[in-house]
Amino acid sequence: MMPDPVEIAFVIAKIGMVLFVILTLAAYLVYAERRLLAWIQDRKGPNRVGPQGLLQPLADLVKLLTKEDVCPPAGDRWLFFLAPAMAAIPAIMTFAIVPFGAPLRLAGRDLPLQVADLNVGLLLFMALSSIAVYGVALGGWASNSKYALLGSLRGLAQLISYELSMGLSLVPAVMLARSFRLSDIVAAQAGCWFILYQPLAFVVFLVSILAECKRIPFDLPEAEGELVAGFHTEYSGMRFGLFFVGEYINIIVLGGLAATFFLGGWHGPVLPGILWFWGKALAFAFLFIWIRGTLPRLRYDQLMHFGWKVLTPLALVNILATAWWLFLTGGA
Amino acid sequence: MRVVDDITAILTGLWTTLKHILRRPVTVQYPEEKRTPSPRYRARIILTRDPDGGERCVACYLCSAACPVDCISMQAEEVEGGRRRAAWFRINFSRCIFCGLCAEACPTTAIQMTPDYEICKRDVMDLVFEKEDLLVAHGGKDARYNFYRHAGIGVTQPRGEGAEERPPVDVRGLLP
Amino acid sequence: MRECIFIKVLMPKLIIDKREVDAPEGVSVLEAAQSVGIVIPHFCWHPALGKAGACRVCAVKMLDGPVKGIQMSCMLPVQEGMVVSTTDPDAVAMRRQVIEWLMINHPHDCPVCDEGGECQLQDFTIAGGHGIRRFDGPKRTHVNQYLGPNIEHEMNRCIQCYRCVRFYQEHAGGSDFGVMGSAGRVYFGRFEHGPLESPFSGNLVDICPTGVFTDRTARFRARYWDYDMAPSVCPGCSVGCNITPVARYRELLKIVARRNDRVNGWFICDRGRFAPKEANDPLRPRTPLVDGREASWEEAEDALLRRLNEIVELYGEGSVLVVGSSRLPFEGASLLPLLSGVLSSGAPGWFATRRETRAAHAAVSLMTRENGASMADVMNAGCIAIYESDLREEGPMLLLAVRQAWRRGAPVLLVGEHSPLEQTRAVGIEAVQLHYMEEAPLAIFDRPVVIAGTKHGDPEVMAMLDRTGARIAALFPGPNGFGAALLSAEQGGGPVGAALASGRVKGLVAVEADIPAELLEGIPVVAALDWRATSAVQAAAIVLPTTAPVESDGTYVNFEGRAQKFCRVIRPGLPVKGLDPAGHPPRVHEAAPPGGDLRPAWRVISDLVRLAGGTPPEEPLSGRWARLAGLDPEGEGMVLGGRVLPNDA
Ligand code: SF4
Ligand code: SF4
Ligand code: SF4
Ligand code: SF4
Repeated sequence: MMPDPVEIAFVIAKIGMVLFVILTLAAYLVYAERRLLAWIQDRKGPNRVGPQGLLQPLADLVKLLTKEDVCPPAGDRWLFFLAPAMAAIPAIMTFAIVPFGAPLRLAGRDLPLQVADLNVGLLLFMALSSIAVYGVALGGWASNSKYALLGSLRGLAQLISYELSMGLSLVPAVMLARSFRLSDIVAAQAGCWFILYQPLAFVVFLVSILAECKRIPFDLPEAEGELVAGFHTEYSGMRFGLFFVGEYINIIVLGGLAATFFLGGWHGPVLPGILWFWGKALAFAFLFIWIRGTLPRLRYDQLMHFGWKVLTPLALVNILATAWWLFLTGGA
Repeated sequence: MRVVDDITAILTGLWTTLKHILRRPVTVQYPEEKRTPSPRYRARIILTRDPDGGERCVACYLCSAACPVDCISMQAEEVEGGRRRAAWFRINFSRCIFCGLCAEACPTTAIQMTPDYEICKRDVMDLVFEKEDLLVAHGGKDARYNFYRHAGIGVTQPRGEGAEERPPVDVRGLLP
Repeated sequence: MRECIFIKVLMPKLIIDKREVDAPEGVSVLEAAQSVGIVIPHFCWHPALGKAGACRVCAVKMLDGPVKGIQMSCMLPVQEGMVVSTTDPDAVAMRRQVIEWLMINHPHDCPVCDEGGECQLQDFTIAGGHGIRRFDGPKRTHVNQYLGPNIEHEMNRCIQCYRCVRFYQEHAGGSDFGVMGSAGRVYFGRFEHGPLESPFSGNLVDICPTGVFTDRTARFRARYWDYDMAPSVCPGCSVGCNITPVARYRELLKIVARRNDRVNGWFICDRGRFAPKEANDPLRPRTPLVDGREASWEEAEDALLRRLNEIVELYGEGSVLVVGSSRLPFEGASLLPLLSGVLSSGAPGWFATRRETRAAHAAVSLMTRENGASMADVMNAGCIAIYESDLREEGPMLLLAVRQAWRRGAPVLLVGEHSPLEQTRAVGIEAVQLHYMEEAPLAIFDRPVVIAGTKHGDPEVMAMLDRTGARIAALFPGPNGFGAALLSAEQGGGPVGAALASGRVKGLVAVEADIPAELLEGIPVVAALDWRATSAVQAAAIVLPTTAPVESDGTYVNFEGRAQKFCRVIRPGLPVKGLDPAGHPPRVHEAAPPGGDLRPAWRVISDLVRLAGGTPPEEPLSGRWARLAGLDPEGEGMVLGGRVLPNDA
């Protein structure tokens, strides 16, 4: 079957739009983070470049692009150059499966506002987030520096541990929606958001994605107090920028996914779905920044202890409870 | 319960930071806004003059000895009339940490700190101030003191006529 | 039992600040305390001058034993069973109040006083606990005197410790300086303005615990904490007094005496102290020169060897002469024969005239370890004969030692026409003048000593001086005179003047040698290694600039054969003073100081030897001189006997 050319054009347009929006948002998220942290600390934050400092991301970009691109002489050149891309690209790709608005009706066709509506969307998300771990691992390894190596070791252990509880916390959502397809999960929440059925799963998921994007209080892979800058110690210029931007894209994507799985995706009263979706995603971003401005960094053993001894059992118990409840009520 | 306490603590922290987001920042927007430093602020250093207009600094090397970063150097010399002064006197402001120990060490109140903190330069050599750049025409914070009036050596007045001095003794006198 | 009592009698045991101290009988409590590191403030007591009891600062409290109560520790000889406290509140209070009282008239001029920073009065005032002046009455003042170009007088600072006058009159025998006035008006000075006459007056600067006497040649130049200092040896004569040259900003400022009980004790003479600071001379050679043109070291060394080899080819062996001197440090001197070797010339020349050469050879072979006289031997001599020497010229500090012997009763005999009576008058000695050595009745005295000058001494007489039974001190023309004479005697070095005058010499290498200009005329190739602008440097086609003694480490062998190490004080280079016409130091930064590309003579000699195909030793003092390489510059030095070479010992 020949693919419909209109459909292809529409998909390409969607991809372009999503890319543009995500990258811009990520850049401004950096700006927003700096302003918010400044306010939390009774400062003003960047306010010099452009009105209210709004052009600061541009200035940062120019700076990063014009900086010298250093590769440690003892490092592994190819892996060293590959690692930042490995960190940023899976984060962007994940967004392909997120439904970010109500389907449009255009010229008699139903156009889903989602790049790819896979029936195993959730599994793809899990797979991609596992690939992103390679960015951290390879970056630290290829740098051939002790701080970077320590950072990447921490990153590996942390990401793998928290991926487990993250996956487990999503199982109840899948059980409720009876589908791995994200549009189905969103549709299942048209009436009532899963957060109401699954507050525990939501909390586990929230904590896990905090760890997954290596944010305070779980930023041990780059803990600047101990490891200089952790796995990206040796990076400079735009390669550092890719790691950096990857982290912020991750925040947006994971925020969007949290909204999709537990807050009803684009569903919401009065306002159009697309606004609801972005509103929810950005609320998560705000929450992340707010937490960063509030909490101190955990110790490494505390982090592992919490993941394995608290979050994972909690998520498992939650799955069993959900199954029991579903069995009793005979399905949702 | 510990879990409850911990969660309360986290929420209290979040609430505190949230309140601060709404507060007015304390930042001063230098260079548009400037604070007025107190007169005792420690910034650019000057060499002052005594009430008679003479150079106060006697190049005693105490400030350079006191300076923890060794940014003062000088050479003493004797000029007509027995006055001791600096032939050259150099402060490297790119090294100075404005601790004020030099001013504290100075026995003649010559070296003093001023509140002028805006001494950035594009070329680091412009921060190396020579005596001409340091010497001012006034007495700084203490306009009255003149070291040579109290020093006991005849520079600003004949020997034995300074403050707290008796006239020179007559060595050959035999009276008790 | 007897032995036990014997030890007890000789070494009284006392307790100072709860520590048991054994002190030899006769020393004061203050010295006993100092021997175990307990410092009691003092002004009038000085190790070389003894006690006066004038300042009353060294108060201690005797808690138990034969004497009780507050006592002056410098006046009190140690006795068995004394229990001394230096920290007792009564003693501390006494010292504080005495210092406060001494300071009542002291001017407020430390900032403009050159003593500040190296001032005993400052140290002990603070140590004594008197930090703030309470008395606000008027101070007594004095009018200063002009004491000559070298010493500055500031009488207001005096604390009446009497050290100056005790040194000047008793120790050095001067008569033109003393104490005048009475009561609170005592005045230390001359009867009228004028230069101090004693050849040891400069020691007033060191010995005065306050800033009354300061070194005028370094007036207002630097402070103690900024000084560049290192242990060194005076290059002024062959006595080899220990000194500390003081420099700042690559400029030699002044010379201070350094204690060495085997040589100069605590003092040095004015000739050494106030000698012109030649290391600062702007006319010094500072770059290698070839025919008056600046050249690189390689170029100049090449030119030197090429030209001298041409001379050798043209005129045959022996047409080139290498000349050393008594001021060339032993490092360079010991390598000089190698240089002669590669230039196919005979033994290097060291001394100017035939008579001087023979006198030096005679002297060096006389002074074995057994009958060489050290400074201590002179001081303890029972009779002293000064043979053909004006010690003011040839070894002033020996004169001070002679005076100490004279004070103990030793007669002083001046033998020969070159031993003027003025020299002994300068230190207040009554001496007898004789014409011939045979007339001196040395044998009837215990411990006789003959001091002989090689400058005017008759070699025949000198060679037989040991028959008198006296110990002999022979004086040489320069600080390393003994070293030069030793090497010269070994290799049979001839007189330089005769060799040059004979016209046989066509090529000359003058290594730190002072050769009269007229002797240099007509010599086709003259090369000079020197740090002074000597006549040889002026006449030389090739000049290789060397470091001055203060700019490199080295060794001098003094008149008694004592090798002493001196250390580098200044990094070679033009003094900062005068580098920039604006008056301040230059505002550009360079890694190496301008005019600093100087090399020690031994290094240049060894480079030349290597370039000429020889194999110089890696280190200057090696082989049989290796024992001199490790000398401690702050130690006593090492005596080489004239006949006993170091490796035979
Ligand atoms: S303020 Fe401090 S650092 Fe600066 S010159 Fe004075 S002593 Fe030195
Ligand atoms: S301490 Fe005062 S008088 Fe002394 S050198 Fe410094 S500025 Fe001059
Ligand atoms: S003699 Fe000593 S105490 Fe007196 S003015 Fe000089 S430095 Fe100060
Ligand atoms: S001049 Fe100096 S040495 Fe002489 S009595 Fe006075 S303080 Fe003592």
